[in-house]
Amino acid sequence: MFYLSVFFQYMAQYIKTKLQYRTDLLVEFFSDLMSQAVNLIFILVVFGHTDLLHGWTRDEMIFIYGFFLVPFALFGAFFNIWDFNERYIVRGELDRVLTRPVHSLFQIILERMELESLLGAVTGFIIMGYAGSRLDLDFHWYDVPIFLLFVIGGMFIYAGVFIALATISFWSDARSSIMPMMYNISNYGRYPIDIYNRVIRYILTWVLPFAFVGVYPSAYFLGKKEWYVYSFLTPVMGVAFFVLALLLWNAGIKRYRGAGN
Amino acid sequence: MGNVIEVENLRKEFKAYSSRSGLMGAFRDLFTRNYKIIQAVHDISFTVNQGEMVGYIGENGAGKSTTIKMLTGILTPTAGKVSVNGMNPHKEREAFVRTIGVVFGQRSQLWWDIAVQESFRLLKKVYRVSDSDYKEHMEHVIETLDIGPLLDKPVRKLSLGQRMRCELAAALIHNPPLLFLDEPTIGLDVLVKLKIREFLKEINQKYNTTILLTTHDISDIEALCDRVIMLDEGKIIYDGSLQRLKENWGEGKQIQFTFSQEITSAELHPLTAAWGVKWSRGEQDNSWIAHVPKAHVSEIISCIVNHYEIQDLNLYEISTEEIIRNIYEEGVAHG
Amino acid sequence: MDKYMEMIRIRFLMMLAYRTNYYTGILIYCINIGAYYFLWSAIYSGKSSIQGMSIEKMATYVAISWMARAFYFNNIDREIAMEIREGQVATELIRPYNYLGMKTMQGLGEGIFRLLFLSLPGVVITALLLPLHFSTDIHTWMYFGLSIMLSFIINSELNLLAGVIAFFTLNNEGLLRAKRFIIDLFSGLILPISFYPDWAQEIMKYFPFQAISYIPSMIFTESFQGQAVVNGLLFQVIWSVVLLFPIYMLWKAAKKRLVIQGG
Repeated sequence: MFYLSVFFQYMAQYIKTKLQYRTDLLVEFFSDLMSQAVNLIFILVVFGHTDLLHGWTRDEMIFIYGFFLVPFALFGAFFNIWDFNERYIVRGELDRVLTRPVHSLFQIILERMELESLLGAVTGFIIMGYAGSRLDLDFHWYDVPIFLLFVIGGMFIYAGVFIALATISFWSDARSSIMPMMYNISNYGRYPIDIYNRVIRYILTWVLPFAFVGVYPSAYFLGKKEWYVYSFLTPVMGVAFFVLALLLWNAGIKRYRGAGN
Repeated sequence: MGNVIEVENLRKEFKAYSSRSGLMGAFRDLFTRNYKIIQAVHDISFTVNQGEMVGYIGENGAGKSTTIKMLTGILTPTAGKVSVNGMNPHKEREAFVRTIGVVFGQRSQLWWDIAVQESFRLLKKVYRVSDSDYKEHMEHVIETLDIGPLLDKPVRKLSLGQRMRCELAAALIHNPPLLFLDEPTIGLDVLVKLKIREFLKEINQKYNTTILLTTHDISDIEALCDRVIMLDEGKIIYDGSLQRLKENWGEGKQIQFTFSQEITSAELHPLTAAWGVKWSRGEQDNSWIAHVPKAHVSEIISCIVNHYEIQDLNLYEISTEEIIRNIYEEGVAHG
Repeated sequence: MDKYMEMIRIRFLMMLAYRTNYYTGILIYCINIGAYYFLWSAIYSGKSSIQGMSIEKMATYVAISWMARAFYFNNIDREIAMEIREGQVATELIRPYNYLGMKTMQGLGEGIFRLLFLSLPGVVITALLLPLHFSTDIHTWMYFGLSIMLSFIINSELNLLAGVIAFFTLNNEGLLRAKRFIIDLFSGLILPISFYPDWAQEIMKYFPFQAISYIPSMIFTESFQGQAVVNGLLFQVIWSVVLLFPIYMLWKAAKKRLVIQGG
C-alpha cells in the first residue's frame, strides 16, 4: 500500500517534469513510431518475396508484432534502466537512492519512468486489430484476462533480463554496452521459434526467453494449439525471471563500492 | 544518554585492479588481471553519544567518505561491527535510513528538474511524514534557513548556496535524531556558511540531534564540534575534544619581529638557543618569526629587544589548521 | 598527426580494458548472425535464389554486414551531444586540436579494436557454424577494404552531423534514436536494398544510407560485379565528400553560438 502511494507520487512528479519539455515528448513519440515502422517494413518487405514463413502467414507475423509491442511498451515505460551503470554507478546517484527508506530498485524504476513509451501499446493494439480482423480470429471473454496475464508475464521477462544485466555493474567495473545489443536479440523472439536451430531455440526459450514476449503467447490467440503449453508458461517464466533478477539485485547491492573510489 | 553510533573494528577493503602497460599488457589483461587489496578503513572503533556534534576529519583518501557510507548503510563493511541507532545499517537498510538524515555536499539529493517544494512533497511521502508533523517541523526549518522564496523554483535554477540550504532542509523532513553531513559547506561563501552553522547549532540544541560532520574547512569544526575524530590512511589517529587537541599540540606561540635592519638567522639562533626557539623568515623584509614554547615568551622578547632595534612586534596563537597539519606531518597524535 | 594516432591508441587500450564487453560482444554478434541466418533460411525455404542472391550469398551478406558494423559503428554522436549538454565542449575547444577530428579518431580507434578482436574471431566462429562463402579473388578483398573505410567515414560524418545538431536543440536523444533506426533499415544491414520494391530503391539512391552497409556487403559477396563495384565505390566517395559541407557549416555556426552565448 505504501509502495502504491509512493508510486503515484512519483508519477505525478514525472508528469509535471515532462510537461516542461513538450517538444522532447513529441520527438520521443516520433522516434518510437519510427522504430515500430522499421520492424513492420521488414515484415512487409520479406513477405514481398515469400508467402509463408515456416507455415506462418504474413498477417500472423504482423499479429505477433502487434502483441509484442504491448508488453514491450510496458517494459519501456517502467523498466527504463539501460543506462543504470552510467547514471547510478559511475555518477554515484545510487548513494542517494540508498539513503532513502524505499527498496533501491523500486526507487530507480520510479525515477526512470518513461510513460510516453506506453504509446507503443496503442500502436500494438491497432496492429493487432488490423491483423486480427484479416485473420478472422475467434474472441472469447476469457481472452481478456489471459491477454493481461501474458502481457504482464512478457513485461516481467524483459524486466528480469534487463535488471539482471544491470546488476553486472555491481560485479564488474566495466562500462557495459551489452544492454543496447540485447535489444537486437530481443527482436528474434517475434519470429516463429521453429525456424531456428536447437541452440538458438533453447536460448530464446530458457536463457534469454524473449520468445515468451512474442511468438509463444501470440500462438494462443492465433489458435496454434501445438504451442499452447508454451503460451501458458509465459506468466510462470515472467515471475521466475523477475524473482531471479531481484535476488541478483539484492546480492549485488551488498557489493556496491560507491562512487569516487 | 545511550550511544547513537557504536563502531568496533570496522574495516573496508577494496580490490583495486592495476592494468599492465602497453598493448601486450592490455591484451593479457583480457584473460588475467592483477589486483591488490586496499584497506580504505582499517579496524577503527569509536562511539558517539546522543546530542554530540562530532567532526570527522582527514585528508583526501583517508577513509572519511567510506566510513560515512558504511554508517549510512550505503556500503557493506568487510569486517567489524556497526550499530547506528541500535540497528545494523546495511542489514535493515530501509527501516534504518528513516532514522537518519544525510547531506552530501557534492551531490544533489533533490530532483533536478522539479520545484523544490515538489521534491519536499515526494520526500515527505517517502519518509511517511504526517501532514501535521511536516507542518509543525518544516515551517520552522524553512523559516530559519530562509528558503521560503526558493520553494517554487526548480533546483537547476538555484545557486550553490541556495541549493545547499534546500538540501539541508530536505534531509530534515523526517526530523531524524541523527544527521550525517559530508562536506556540507564545500564551495559556499562565508555568509551561507555562517547561516548553516547557526542552523545546525540550533537544531542540535532544540531536538538534541546528533551530528557527524566531515569537512575540509577547519573553521566548521571550530564553530560546531566539541569533539573531533581524525583519520589517516584508514586509521583513527586522534579521537577527543578539540580543546585537548589544542592544549597538547598548540602549546607555544609565534612572535613576529620586524627589524629595522637586515639580519641573518646565524645572528638570531645563538641568542635564543637555550629556550629551544626555532626561527623562520617572515613575509615582509627583515621580518623573522620565532616559534616559542609558551613559558618563555617574555624572556625571549626582552632578549631580542635588548640586542636589536625592532620596528614592529606581533604575537600569534597557533591556529587549529596548523596544529592539524603538524599532526599529519608527524604521524600519530599523543593525547 | 601524432596526437591523432595517440588518440586512436588510447581508445584502443580503453576498449581492451573492458573485458566483459569483449566476451559478451563476440557472443551477441554471433547470436545476431545466427538468428538472421535462420530467419533468412526460413524466408528462402527451398527457393534457390531471391533477387539474384542464393542462400549462401545471403548468409555471407548477413555475417559480413554485422562484422562490418562492428567496425564502422560508434557512439560519437551521443558523446558529442553529451559533452555539449554538460558544457565540456568549451574546454575541448581550447585544446590544440580539431574537436570533430579528434572524435572521429576516437571512433576509428574503437572500430579497429572491434575489427581485430570482435569481427575477426566472430567471422571465424560463424564460418565454422554456417555455410559462408569467401571470395578467393584478391581484388574483391581490396575493394571491400576500401569500401568499409568509406563506410566508416560516411557513418562517422552522419554521427558528427547528428551530434553537432545538439548545439541547436537542447535535447536530441530522440533524434539520435530515430537516426539509428533509419540507418539500420536503409543502410542494408537488416535487408539488402535490392529486396525493396523498385520505387523505394529509386528513392534510396538519393540518400547516403546504402553506402554504409549495403555497398561493402554486396562487394564482399561478389553480388556486385565489374562496373557495379566501381559505381558503388564512386557513390561512397561522392557522399563522403558531400557530407563534409553541412558538417562544416553547422560546426561553424555552432562555434559562433558557443562564443556568443558561452555555452
